[in-house]
Amino acid sequence: MTLDPVRPGRKVVQAPQAGLAGSRPLPGISDLSADDPYGDVLITGLIRAQLGLTIGFGALTVAVIGSLPIVAELFPGVVHDTIGGLPVPLIVLGGGIYPILVALGWSYVRLAERLERRFAELLSRPT
Amino acid sequence: MNQSALAAVVAVTLVTVVLGARGMRVARTPADFLVAARAVPPLVNASAISGEYLSAASFLGVAGLVYVDGVGALWYPVGYATGYLVLLLLVAAPLRRFGAYTIPDFAEGRLGSPLLRKVGTLFVLVIGWFYLLPQLKGAGITLQVVMGTPYWVGVVALGVVVTGNIAAGGMKGITVVQAFQFWLKIVAIAVPAVILLALTHPRTQALDRPVGATFPVATTVSVTEPISFTVKHPITITGSGELDGAPIAGRVLLSNGRHTAAAGAKLRFPAGAAAPSAVGLDELRGTSWSMPFARAGNGDQHPLAATYGLILATFLGTVGLPHILVRFYTNRDGRSARRTTAIVLLLVSCFYLFPVVFGVLGRLEAPGLYVTANTDSVVLVLPKIAVAGAGGIALAALVAAGAFAAFLSTSSGLLISVAGALSHDLLDGRVRTFRWCTVVAGVLAVAAGLRVGDFSLNLLVGWAFAIAASTFCPLLVLGIWWRRLSRDGCLAGLIVGGLTSAAAISATMLGAGRTGWPAVLLGLPAIWTVPTSFLVMIVVSLLTPGSIPDDVAGKMLVLHLPEGLRGPAPRTWPMAPPTAVARETGWA
Repeated sequence: MTLDPVRPGRKVVQAPQAGLAGSRPLPGISDLSADDPYGDVLITGLIRAQLGLTIGFGALTVAVIGSLPIVAELFPGVVHDTIGGLPVPLIVLGGGIYPILVALGWSYVRLAERLERRFAELLSRPT
Repeated sequence: MNQSALAAVVAVTLVTVVLGARGMRVARTPADFLVAARAVPPLVNASAISGEYLSAASFLGVAGLVYVDGVGALWYPVGYATGYLVLLLLVAAPLRRFGAYTIPDFAEGRLGSPLLRKVGTLFVLVIGWFYLLPQLKGAGITLQVVMGTPYWVGVVALGVVVTGNIAAGGMKGITVVQAFQFWLKIVAIAVPAVILLALTHPRTQALDRPVGATFPVATTVSVTEPISFTVKHPITITGSGELDGAPIAGRVLLSNGRHTAAAGAKLRFPAGAAAPSAVGLDELRGTSWSMPFARAGNGDQHPLAATYGLILATFLGTVGLPHILVRFYTNRDGRSARRTTAIVLLLVSCFYLFPVVFGVLGRLEAPGLYVTANTDSVVLVLPKIAVAGAGGIALAALVAAGAFAAFLSTSSGLLISVAGALSHDLLDGRVRTFRWCTVVAGVLAVAAGLRVGDFSLNLLVGWAFAIAASTFCPLLVLGIWWRRLSRDGCLAGLIVGGLTSAAAISATMLGAGRTGWPAVLLGLPAIWTVPTSFLVMIVVSLLTPGSIPDDVAGKMLVLHLPEGLRGPAPRTWPMAPPTAVARETGWA
């Protein structure tokens, strides 16, 4: 099972159902029992998809915020610049960083909810 | 002495006690003692979480540290806010879906080990207790500024009010109180900050002059307790009282080097004079003030390592704060836990725009604090220095009220967590036990709080974060996302991470490692203790697959399954709900 959380245009890829007809119905909520190997595959897929989303956002956070000290170390010119009389580091750490944080948080919430909705749709399709 | 500020502090305390007690009529189970009734709407819950989170370190400490250490100190608030993004990405929804009530609950439920619960409880106590100290220090310096009382009076006063209130059964309506206190705090810091910005004309070019901060106008520094300070540029001052062991009257030339002033002395510095700095303060001057690097100890060596030590502790420490995670149980479900966290991120981000204003304006307008070393009180004293007359007094009263709201809300939440962990997880869990635990924990915290006056507020809070990041962060992150985490691995990582970080911090508190690498590695230990803890947890888990719980697949299902797919049946797995605990302990 593939659940792609990030690109909305992409389709959920599934094995052709014709080949499975008769051998196994489409997945349903009842398959999610932990003993059922089929349910295990489903839930593992969901966890992987959510972990992928988390890792993606984590990487973005590290790239945007966690990298700032290294950027400051590598480009001391930026550190000594001023904008409107205020040192650039003061502007970035004192305020500029927070809108980015909030935007990251809210977009994660939206994507995580969308991912869960898709998973629910996948399971509750009429068989 | 400032009657209006005192009145404001008393009013905040009374409102807290009364609002907390009102909750008693609806909330009667012991569980309500620890967490409010379930299903609080996300905005209220987010306000309550933010109210509990924004402590003395945020309200007073950030400005105080910017005042001394400059822009690099802003990594503290940035880290405190980013911690919620990390919490959102890794923990919020699964933790709520699991239904665990506290972190030790989660540890036992996820890995099926009562021993793990006990060890987790020990670290709840350590983290909560460390976090209590800066709150008490904040109260000590606030009453010092507001009423001129000695430091210990504020520490004991806050300790008595909070301990007494909780032990007497108050704070049952704690969600309402905490939510109210968030809005009070943000008003109390935002309104004065905006007014100060509008009324002062900051000479921003004076921020990073090589001589350090200079007095904008002739300023009298009143000495309340004996001080010693270092003069780096000779100044002629006028003064009265005792200076360098001899009485002075009128003009005195302060030569380069160290001087002492006795309590009661008044030193008047001329406009434009560079402020001498108190011995041991070592504030940053020149362009190093505006560098975006954190400092460890008194030096500024190894800035990159110090900054990343701080980043690891604050980014990852929020995930493991016991008094915050308890609040996630009051969300309706995983989805609303996520939304709540995103709102908290927004609320604390808004709050952190303002303390920096006090730090920067304080450096420009109120350099007298460099002489007396009371730098953590810059938020409290700046309004009266910068705004003349009744306006300044009113603003000072407002910030004093906000500061007290910060100590009250955070220390109440912490004391409830600590006493709750002691009584429920280690002892018999009766109401009487809870009350005695509250008193014992409160007394111990006050005794220690009296001794931490010399440590900056953020340093103390940063240590609580470092221990949380080295213990509960790996436990939660691996517990939620990695099914091969074993009981033995978890136990080993928890113990190694907890002992190494606590040992490093204790060494720093006892005076080891003031400069160089020891200062970085002991003072900001998260840079090595967090990776060590993760590594030990992973390696030992891989070596002991036998102690992976049998029903790990079922547990992963509960952690990650979205609500819509759960069916209508209420979940009581894996823990009995708090109300059942209540019935068992006869506390209803």
